[in-house]
Amino acid sequence: MLWLKTMGIVLVVSGFGSYGLMGARSIEKRVEQIRNIRLAMGFLEKEITYLHTPLPTALCRAAQSVPAPARRLFTDCSQSLQDRQGITVSEAWTQSLEKLRHSSDLTKLDLQLLQSLSSQMGMSGVEEQKKLFGLIQEQLKIQEEKARCELESGRKIRSYGGFILGATVVLLLI
Amino acid sequence: MNRNDEDIIKKDIIPFLSLDIKKIIMNLKPECFNGMEEIRLRCGQPLLLKIGDKDYALDREGNLDESMTRGFVVSAEDIYRSIASISDNSLYAFEEEIGRGFITIPGGHRVGLAGQVVLSGTEVRTMKDFSSIAFRVAREIKDCAKGVLPYVYPRDLEPVNTLFISAPRCGKTTILRDVARSLSLGTSRGRGCNVVVIDERSELAGTYQGRAQMDVGPRTDVLDSCPKARGMIMAIRSLSPHVLITDEIGRHEDIEAILECMNAGAAVITSIHARNIEEAQKRPLMRELLATGAFENLIVLSRRCGPGTIEQVVRRDVLCCG
Repeated sequence: MLWLKTMGIVLVVSGFGSYGLMGARSIEKRVEQIRNIRLAMGFLEKEITYLHTPLPTALCRAAQSVPAPARRLFTDCSQSLQDRQGITVSEAWTQSLEKLRHSSDLTKLDLQLLQSLSSQMGMSGVEEQKKLFGLIQEQLKIQEEKARCELESGRKIRSYGGFILGATVVLLLI
Repeated sequence: MNRNDEDIIKKDIIPFLSLDIKKIIMNLKPECFNGMEEIRLRCGQPLLLKIGDKDYALDREGNLDESMTRGFVVSAEDIYRSIASISDNSLYAFEEEIGRGFITIPGGHRVGLAGQVVLSGTEVRTMKDFSSIAFRVAREIKDCAKGVLPYVYPRDLEPVNTLFISAPRCGKTTILRDVARSLSLGTSRGRGCNVVVIDERSELAGTYQGRAQMDVGPRTDVLDSCPKARGMIMAIRSLSPHVLITDEIGRHEDIEAILECMNAGAAVITSIHARNIEEAQKRPLMRELLATGAFENLIVLSRRCGPGTIEQVVRRDVLCCG
């Protein structure tokens, strides 16, 4: 029976521990993802304000500058607009964000911030677009800083917390 | 080969309309597309079609109603969706065009816009909060200028200065476009010559993203969105044209540029808005221009037997004697 108990303890502790480590990794990835989206926004702003590139093409080019999942956000939106199914940029962006929600580590607040772009993206003059993208990049920078601050403490809490919680559960069960 | 109206409207214009309006127009009987000149969307007003000389409201089932009592009412959402589609969801990329009041779509069709105008100083910068859209169907009718070519191009490589006089919607732009194509291609009376089209409002060549959507001939250069007076001088200096073609002159600087070009060895073919020569002569600038005897031909167009009816051709010698 002892080997069975030992096996159970190992499984519970490693299970909780892995969950904690995944959580810690998710915090790290979130910082990276916000940064990538911010960089792509900067790229998109330049395409729009300096080159006046039409939005579907500008989104596609911005996508090339960053890795997934940020890349997918821009590619999906660009693809929906290029399909010419009568969809507006607001609808295309919202749909792409919905997909991003499932495939990224961004929080609800991060996604809400990105959603705020939808009503104005592409649908005003160059100056207004410049202001819009300037603002969103500033906000993303603040969000990135916050995420970075949470990273140090959060990573430790989650990494160790998982194993500690696993051990606690084991003690309670014994 | 000239495309039929139904094909032009279904392929070039309908894709830019909101889904609701798209469905309604697709319900229209095929014969209703013939002669359709405009599709007008006004926020809170019935969807209007201009077919020939008449305006019709269009209901949900695709029935035309001349009394305009039971048409489909266009919503702000329809306008927004159509604008988004026309501008490829990129209004910033069309700021200059919007400032001029229209956007040209593939196929060379002009989409007129109305809304709240945004000024920068005294200049119109752009427009926002759009309230209406007018799609004007551009038609390319090859060989429609056959009747005027003997006057415009009587001898090889010697096209002559010609002024088309016509009220709006009498087909002068279509004829000017075909004159450009025919002169550029060559006719039975002469070889093809270098033509420069100065297309201030993107109507003659229907340029979209730098490419002429209409056939204006193999020896034709297009200065798109270029002010007429400046374009004529630029063309003379850099493109060695035999003939310059431009539409709707009317400003003092246009007339100065025309006179300069005529004395620089290039023929000028252009048009003005007026119902007849007498009406044109009542406009001080036109009177001044006609008095110079610069134009060898004055050609008056009307809609009497359909757009592009040649009402009168007056040669300079006759005009001088008269």
